[in-house]
Amino acid sequence: MPLDTSTYSLALLRVDGRRWNELRRLHAQIRIQAAADGSSYLEMGNTKVMCVLTGPSEPQQQQQGQRRGQATAGGGKDAAINVSIVVAGFASVDHKKRGRNDKRTQELELIIAKTFASVAHTHLFPHSSISLALHVLSADGSLLAALLNAATLALIDAGIPMSDYIAACTAGSTSSYAAADDSADPLLDLNTQEEQELPFITVATLGETDRVAVLNCESRVQVSRLEGMLAVAVDGCKEVKQLLDKAIKAKGAKMIREGAAEKSDAMAMDLDE
Amino acid sequence: MTSLKRSVDSDVFASNISNKTYVRSTRSGKVQKIVREVYLRTDIPCSSKLCKACLADAPRNAAQEAQPFVLSEKPAGTKAFPQGHYLVPDTNAVLNAMDLFEQTSAFYDVIILQTVLEELRNRSLPLYNRLVGLTKSEDKRFYVFFNDFRQETYVQRGHNETVNDRNDRAVRKAVKWYAEHLAQTKTKSIPAVVMLSNDKENLHKAKEDGLNGSTLREYVSTLEDGDRLLDMVAEVESSGGFQKQGQMLYPEHFSVSKMMTGVKAGLMHQGIFSVSPYNYLEGSIKVPAFPKPLLILGRENINRAIDGDVVVVEVLPQDQWKEPSTKIIEEEAITKNENADAEGSQDLVSEKERKALQDEVKKTQKGSSEGRPQPTAKVVGVVRRNWRQYVGHIDPSSASRATTQGRKQDNVFLIPMDKKIPKIRLRTRQTSELLGKRLLVTIDAWERDSRHPVGHFVRSLGELETKAAETEALLLEWDVQYRPFPKTVLDCLPKEGHDWKVPASTEDPGWRDREDLRDLLICSIDPVGCQDIDDALHAQKLPNGNFQVGVHIADVSNFVRPANAMDTEASIRGTTVYLVDKRIDMLPPLLGTNLCSLKPYVERYAFSVLWELNENADIVNVRFTKSVIKSREAFSYEEAQIRIDDESQQDDLTKGMRMLLMLSKKLKQKRMDAGALSLSSPEVKVQTESETSDPIDVKTKQLLDTNSLVEEFMLFANISVAAKIYDAFPQTAILRRHGAPPKTNFDELSEQLRIKCGMELRTDSSKALADSLDRCVKPGEPFFNTLVRIMATRCMMSAEYFCSGTQAYPEFRHYGLASEIYTHFTSPIRRYADLLAHRQLAAAIDYEAVHPSVRSRGRLEAVCKNINVRHRNAQMAGRASIAYYVGQALKGKVAEEDAFVMKIFSNGFVVLVPRFGIEGLIRLRDLAEPEPESDFDAESYTLTTSGSREVKVELFQKVKVRVHDHKDEATGKRGVKMELISA
Repeated sequence: MPLDTSTYSLALLRVDGRRWNELRRLHAQIRIQAAADGSSYLEMGNTKVMCVLTGPSEPQQQQQGQRRGQATAGGGKDAAINVSIVVAGFASVDHKKRGRNDKRTQELELIIAKTFASVAHTHLFPHSSISLALHVLSADGSLLAALLNAATLALIDAGIPMSDYIAACTAGSTSSYAAADDSADPLLDLNTQEEQELPFITVATLGETDRVAVLNCESRVQVSRLEGMLAVAVDGCKEVKQLLDKAIKAKGAKMIREGAAEKSDAMAMDLDE
Repeated sequence: MTSLKRSVDSDVFASNISNKTYVRSTRSGKVQKIVREVYLRTDIPCSSKLCKACLADAPRNAAQEAQPFVLSEKPAGTKAFPQGHYLVPDTNAVLNAMDLFEQTSAFYDVIILQTVLEELRNRSLPLYNRLVGLTKSEDKRFYVFFNDFRQETYVQRGHNETVNDRNDRAVRKAVKWYAEHLAQTKTKSIPAVVMLSNDKENLHKAKEDGLNGSTLREYVSTLEDGDRLLDMVAEVESSGGFQKQGQMLYPEHFSVSKMMTGVKAGLMHQGIFSVSPYNYLEGSIKVPAFPKPLLILGRENINRAIDGDVVVVEVLPQDQWKEPSTKIIEEEAITKNENADAEGSQDLVSEKERKALQDEVKKTQKGSSEGRPQPTAKVVGVVRRNWRQYVGHIDPSSASRATTQGRKQDNVFLIPMDKKIPKIRLRTRQTSELLGKRLLVTIDAWERDSRHPVGHFVRSLGELETKAAETEALLLEWDVQYRPFPKTVLDCLPKEGHDWKVPASTEDPGWRDREDLRDLLICSIDPVGCQDIDDALHAQKLPNGNFQVGVHIADVSNFVRPANAMDTEASIRGTTVYLVDKRIDMLPPLLGTNLCSLKPYVERYAFSVLWELNENADIVNVRFTKSVIKSREAFSYEEAQIRIDDESQQDDLTKGMRMLLMLSKKLKQKRMDAGALSLSSPEVKVQTESETSDPIDVKTKQLLDTNSLVEEFMLFANISVAAKIYDAFPQTAILRRHGAPPKTNFDELSEQLRIKCGMELRTDSSKALADSLDRCVKPGEPFFNTLVRIMATRCMMSAEYFCSGTQAYPEFRHYGLASEIYTHFTSPIRRYADLLAHRQLAAAIDYEAVHPSVRSRGRLEAVCKNINVRHRNAQMAGRASIAYYVGQALKGKVAEEDAFVMKIFSNGFVVLVPRFGIEGLIRLRDLAEPEPESDFDAESYTLTTSGSREVKVELFQKVKVRVHDHKDEATGKRGVKMELISA
């Protein structure tokens, strides 16, 4: 059994060798599935998720009530955003199957749907629906953050107007709640082991601004540590945004080079990048 | 949001990423494959003060502070490395010689590799914790180098390479890197980097790579006080060379997976192994599958298990089932003449042991007509060793005479103080110095080819029978923390020290939400000479005819803030330990005996429970408040009793005390009616000379009305508080429960009472038990009832602290007190549980916010577990201390006393001497020379002897014995010896 999170104070190194303010390796791809309207694949460390988007399209007749995660702003004036998450059986270590009605999955669906309903310009697509199918291939912490990031990429790929990126990451604290250690360092981007042992929050910001779009905390944490954790998370989100942006631009440049898209005059992008 | 603390720009990942994959099996036997990312970096410093390059990019935490460098620029040198050296131990070195690393005379500037730390954590969590403790101490200069995260030193496990080989390679690579890295500093004398390992191949490979390597033994022998330290080098590593005669004495243990499969299938059973206190070759194990414990008989079946180990057993075929031994077998007597050197050549079961076993078989077969053989089992494997450090002394007969001079290393036996622990074989060069001393040793291993476990010497406590050595020995034996309080703890005390006073102005923050109860007539009643006064009481008549009664408890939580160093220390100590001549405090004496102690005539902070009681002592209402009180008088029990009994005293204070006494009697009656038990244990008090604290006399404790007065109100307060904190914190309240004993516990005792006295012991409820115990009286023999109560007490479960969320409400019951709910609240100076209850009560009455540590259930459970152990150990240490002093008081004296027979064996019996509260064993061979013939009737618990001396001894019989102290010349052990005068 390897060491646990309590060894951080020995040399300021986390269980996987990172410092407190370092993200894991982030790898992003868009348009991975030509048949879909928008799609993306995202890795944050060993957390691997895929998003396939359909829409905006005519809504399915009477979407079996409001059961799945969806957010509409009423009356069908805005496009409805439906999110469904499938966690693969092999995604976590214990190989446990999560059913369709798993409450935690449903909660994630709802959070994601609500977030994007407020950021995407859904009023442009009345009486239609946008469906996001998210697949978790491997879960190793910061799952909600990875799902939010993947959804952002898919929405951009599908060309759905949004006011800005939603960039998300988690932040934790180096000692557990009960340790009551006020000098605890904040941590950025937790993996499963850290999530299990330490308190953490998930934060998503609107692009590179300080505007927080999602703030989720399910563990008990001292109020005094929250500020530091939030600051680190917001900084982390900015880094994540830049990485997502880079992935999209790289794909765009590639498409222009390959002739799949035309270079517009308004584009100030450098293709040689 | 400008105030937000901002992080520094993290550097772009120049690092490589690697993956660590390993397989683990869960408790349920599933196999999981776990993949972890590893980020390899180049900015992990070497932490040597010589190195400027590392200092420049030392990592910083969120507050931008870099960690100071640890390893000194001028490390100590040895003969082999005059330029100074840094040590890099491998896992086995740390595992086997932790005591060495904790020495203050050597082992400085040590580099602990991550590889080693991880492997150590795998192998032994306690050692891991000790090592982490060392790395945190400033003066030892231990540095943890995360070699598996540094790019240059990271080692990928090769194809077909074992984990051990990979780890050895990682250690060598790190040593190499350190050597090269330090060479770059270009200072004049570069310290050598020395790898410590006992693995020959590892050392050999290190030599090939041009690295400095050494075995522990070689290294230690180059140190200045090498001879002394050499004894502490664990035995296992050296045994490799000198024996291996290949004769295996014990059966092999099963592999873990085989045991787990067996346990899961219900064919094997797991439990904690315990040894009978009367027979070292008989053990028992309680397993969940059966209501009664399984017997484990004989050396071979015990198969190297030691008392306390978690083992797996297999039930033996029915023809090997036996009755539990009715014989006393002491290891010392039987294996007295074994030779520590000639270990392997003998048979496993010695001639004498074999003889003892033959007698046993005869006995069993004779008795088998009645046919009650019990299932027996054999140990097939050890899940977890529970070895600790043991205190004992060297068996002088095992040390050869020739070695009294010279430095030849030889093997000796150590006889542990705890009779349940087998003899331990030690190798030492200083036999002559260690003879006649109390020693602390640890067990290293118990191999199949060695009859006794092998251990090594840790330190000497001093001469046998000196007060200091014996006291320390029993503190160590019961794991009592007795070292002085460290500075960090003392720093938590109020700055005013002994001059601290309750602030005069009621505007002071200390007075916030405190009631001013200074005008109440409060007094305290305690044993004579009590300094840590936890509790004080008062009572007064209210205008409506009811009584106001107050119990005031020292407000310790005001001084001990949660989660500071003092609190942590107290939670580890758990309780104050009372020895005859000494008190090991839980809190620094400034608090315990002065600032918190409710001393008379001065103002003190208190936590008060105030009831309104009616004439029948029923509660009209109760409230809790923090307060300031001024005790009018501190009475001893006798003084209080005299004052109450003295009719001429008509002042209000005395009247209040009479009210208390009247109410306490009613409370007691109610409790008894509800079925509370009054149990008994032989309690004595040792009177000591005030100057030298040498024992003079032994007295049995007297109980006065005032004892029960105080006790009743403390119970009453505890129950009220328990209800309140449970109401406020249903999940996390700290409570105390006493489980109902399983019926089978009383089987033997009720059988004995039925046969010998025609009395019936009813055990269906505590009420029934209390009533039937009351009926167990023999006319003209007042002590008989006490004896039965003592024996009944031993059948009970022990009470325990627990966290309310872990049990269902019906399980909260305190069986002995017949109360639905109970906690400890009234002695916060000497018990940690009470301190927690204070904090919870303070939060429950909205006095202060609840601290996270008081409401995190996991943490509370851990605390409960610890204080349960500490509480028990403290009791045991206290009893051991009394036993030692009783022995000392009897030194050179001979007393003739009444005694009662408590237990009967076929070759002896156990008596209890009420006057001294001690139990003693009388063997047949002590009765007369030659040993008389005997006839033991197990059915009627009678032992009849004939021949050289004719007596008939029955259970519960009153006998006369001569008690005198006795020193066994062979072992140098002093003990109380008893002789039968007349039956």
